[in-house]
Amino acid sequence: MEASIGKFFESVGTFFSGGDSIPWCDSDIVVGCEREVAEAEKGSSDELKSECLLRLSWALVHSKRSEDVQRGIAMLEASLPRTSDPLQMREKMYLLAVGYYRSADYPRSRQLVDRCLEIAPEWRQAITLKKSVEDRIKKDGVIGIGIAATAVGLLAGGLAAALARKK
Amino acid sequence: MDSSSGSEFDYLFKLLMIGDSGVGKSSLLLSFTSDSFEELSPTIGVDFKVKQVTIGGKKLKLAIWDTAGQERFRTLTSSYYRGAQGIIMVYDVTRRETFTNLSDIWAKEIDLYSTNQDCIKMLVGNKVDKENERVVTKKEGIDFAREYGCLFIECSAKTRVNVEQCFEELVLKILDTPSLTAEGSTTVKRNIFKQKPPTDEATSGCC
Ligand SMILES: Nc1nc2c(ncn2[C@@H]2O[C@H](COP(=O)(O)OP(=O)(O)OP(=O)(O)O)[C@@H](O)[C@H]2O)c(=O)[nH]1
Ligand SMILES: [Mg+2]
Repeated sequence: MEASIGKFFESVGTFFSGGDSIPWCDSDIVVGCEREVAEAEKGSSDELKSECLLRLSWALVHSKRSEDVQRGIAMLEASLPRTSDPLQMREKMYLLAVGYYRSADYPRSRQLVDRCLEIAPEWRQAITLKKSVEDRIKKDGVIGIGIAATAVGLLAGGLAAALARKK
Repeated sequence: MDSSSGSEFDYLFKLLMIGDSGVGKSSLLLSFTSDSFEELSPTIGVDFKVKQVTIGGKKLKLAIWDTAGQERFRTLTSSYYRGAQGIIMVYDVTRRETFTNLSDIWAKEIDLYSTNQDCIKMLVGNKVDKENERVVTKKEGIDFAREYGCLFIECSAKTRVNVEQCFEELVLKILDTPSLTAEGSTTVKRNIFKQKPPTDEATSGCC
């Protein structure tokens, strides 16, 4: 079962890497970022540590593996309340929105991306994300949202639609 | 031009944009893909756009990866060099350090991380609309390109002068390089947009 899910996500990955405008990240990049974080833990400055952590969360929420995305979301959710710098704050909010988008939690993703755009209305990457989120919401309709709420960690609308059919 | 519609194409090429923060990589991409120019925030990590074009009589899908120039993202962006058929190195003709960093940083990054031996490099001097603030001459650009074996063009994302040409010349050169198109014909010519997720597998795998 694990393997077949893996294979499925892999194929969803190639399926979307052309049409989707949010980039994907391979698992070896995640591993690399992980290694950096581990090294930074051994006594680098706080600034360096937080840079490493930001890269790791970027890699996690852009990963093709849903476990990674979940982990990225958890990391960002935990660190947001401790973030005071406005620039870091909005970067993390954006990354969290990417994570929610990738785990098919579109309403939450839209909420966050809207907040990003309130702060920086011309922010291109956030505008692109918002458009992707809205396309998804339109495409999946009410079903997509309902599924997202129950089936946490599912990656794509295609999968959500397949599940809906089975029910 | 619409980048998401239309599903037939002869080749899919991966292009990569690198260079210091603020030189205008994202602006060039925006100017190329949606004919617009505006103030942009620095890119976070990596951004990505697809554009379908017809160049040299071939229908092409260009997957263009726009990397963040900020140093704090460097280890992240370095992994996106893999498999690129074309690399666009951008500098700002009004800021000398963005030009000197090409040899100090960016050319080295290409040597370290690019996996395509024959990948085509394009040197781009951007912001020529600010001619009165120019500090890097055209001759310097030409000399650099000759030394590093790249194509060269000067352009402006703002006025859109030479923006199309930049991508077009790069792609023509890729089309002209048998090792790059041969690889493309086996691994990327497959139409990824027609490929449907295997729904059966998904249903059995998750419930
Ligand atoms: N006058 C002029 N300004 C430009 C041009 N291209 C970009 N700019 C401006 O330069 C600034 C930086 O442009 P970006 O496209 O964000 O630069 P970037 O290389 O993507 O930067 P990073 O994402 O941080 O790596 C923006 O405010 C643009 O409006 C140009 O051709 N002419
Ligand atoms: Mg940029």
